[in-house]
Amino acid sequence: MKKPIQRSAYILVAIVTLAFVAFPLLVDTEESYLVYFFFMCFIYVALAQGWNLVAGYAGQASFGQHAFFGLGAYITAITWKAGWTDFLDPVAMTLSGAGAALLAVVVGVALLAKLRGDYFALGTLGLGEILRVVFTQGGTLTGGPVGLLLPSSSYQSLGPYYFIALTIALFTFLFVWLLMRSRVGLALVAIREDEQAAASNGIHVLKFKILAFAAGAFFSGMCGSIYGYFLFHIHPLGFFSLNWALLPVLMTVLGGIGTLFGPVLGAFVLAGVFELANLYIPEIHPMFSGLFVILVMLFLPQGMMSLGGKGVLARLFPFILGLSNQRERR
Amino acid sequence: MSAFNAFMQILINGVLFGSMYGVAAIGLSLIFGSMQIVFIAQGAVIILAAYFTYWVFTLTGLDPFFCLILCLPVFMALGWGLYVGLFHKVARAGKNPSLLLAFGLMVLIENLMAFLWTPNTRAIRTSYTAIGLSVGPMQISFSRLMVFIISLAATGLVFLFMKKTLWGKAVRAASEDMGAAALLGISPRRVSGLTFAIGIALAGIAGVCTATTYPFDPYFGFLFSLKALIAVAFGGLGSVGGALLGGILLGLLESVGSYLISGGWADAISYAAFLLVIMLRPQGLFGQSTRAA
Repeated sequence: MKKPIQRSAYILVAIVTLAFVAFPLLVDTEESYLVYFFFMCFIYVALAQGWNLVAGYAGQASFGQHAFFGLGAYITAITWKAGWTDFLDPVAMTLSGAGAALLAVVVGVALLAKLRGDYFALGTLGLGEILRVVFTQGGTLTGGPVGLLLPSSSYQSLGPYYFIALTIALFTFLFVWLLMRSRVGLALVAIREDEQAAASNGIHVLKFKILAFAAGAFFSGMCGSIYGYFLFHIHPLGFFSLNWALLPVLMTVLGGIGTLFGPVLGAFVLAGVFELANLYIPEIHPMFSGLFVILVMLFLPQGMMSLGGKGVLARLFPFILGLSNQRERR
Repeated sequence: MSAFNAFMQILINGVLFGSMYGVAAIGLSLIFGSMQIVFIAQGAVIILAAYFTYWVFTLTGLDPFFCLILCLPVFMALGWGLYVGLFHKVARAGKNPSLLLAFGLMVLIENLMAFLWTPNTRAIRTSYTAIGLSVGPMQISFSRLMVFIISLAATGLVFLFMKKTLWGKAVRAASEDMGAAALLGISPRRVSGLTFAIGIALAGIAGVCTATTYPFDPYFGFLFSLKALIAVAFGGLGSVGGALLGGILLGLLESVGSYLISGGWADAISYAAFLLVIMLRPQGLFGQSTRAA
């Protein structure tokens, strides 16, 4: 059963990627709301996939991804203002990711060595909240509570944002895919399943945990960078908002945690639901979003990928069956 | 007023305010004991109770502290209902879904309140809101003192319940090891339902206290959850007295921190202390339990 499913997964990824590459060529990027919507979706996909790597595969649920998102945005803004990098500079984006990853390594050495499970989640949550205060109090370097204003005259078109975000999302997806097929991935899953057993088989538990944590932080930092370029205004409340930590968690769990396609599916579905609610029932939209999360957890606690095994969806898309089994197959 | 007196005043305010964190923290700690999740919606429930008090006071003129008698059964029932209706089903699916359920509940409650009662800040003004008691050169607000007394009473009652009654014993057993408790004939559903009811009732008490002493708005709750969480970590999970002490300690830390450094840093100071405590003393500052992180 493995071979044809693998092939159909490759084909699916290729087709979806091609469709997204072709999409802006077919519509007017400045007029179409969908271009903006997909841009946000790509950011969510990368964030969710990054969290999925840390929590779903390595088993270390972090609630502090907003720390890395915000840090990435600030690195981009500060280096641009200082004149070291340009508008939509890949160097700045890489730097933002690397800075976030560096923070993850530094914090991870302390947190991951000491804390497990809930305590790790709460510790990372604390990290994000501390960073927000630090950047609010950061004086002229961070612009205080007002934040940093970037030269918005650089804006020309939504097109470049779309493609950069698509690249980041695709890069994240392929990275996690390849990583999970490697020895490193095997080690991460072993740690998730049983830390002691993994350690007794010669896996350096802390090293691999930090690796996953830093990789997840890298993606978050890059997302923060591109979103910072998009808004031209980096402020502590918006970029260190807990939403950047919670939404990816929600999307991953909704899609299916510990599966490769779950976060992607979850990101598009949740972003779509929120966006539709925002368009058609704006007054009660946030309330509806909360209700939606409750309903999903009541009726679909294992995520949408778990639907693959049974019912209509499996008959319509037989390959999903294989994809949802990916976790067991390893 | 001399600097010393000002400092004493700050200490007193910290203790009085911290006792409110403490009550919320006890509820959080109880629910953690039964569900193994941080009930992140606790703060939203507290604000719901504050609104409840506000409306009872505004519509009927009933004294806010008297409203406590009305509030307790309502929120106990709410807690029971939440467990039986929502969390019992999801608990089987694991911790992540329960946590996200709590998150969804928080978003729902917050926005429901904002939708129904506008996001404006509300405050209760009673005839005694401005009254202060003079103790030497210090002023102690009457309503804050009442809050402190209520918090102590609530903690005492929960403590007695846990130590002296059979149900309390069952709750403690279930939080140690749900599987073993079930083998001994303790119904997980009933015990968790009861724990939830008590936890939410404590949120109700904290809500009444909030309403009488501070202005509040629908989104204030999340911050409250985080503060209660820090208080729980200070006191050690599962310890009733520790949670209250942890809350008071946090209140002190915040008021002294904002006095000595600056108000803006208060949050960062409490989180830094929180990180240090969970890393160095995961069993809490006052506990000697051996439960590891």
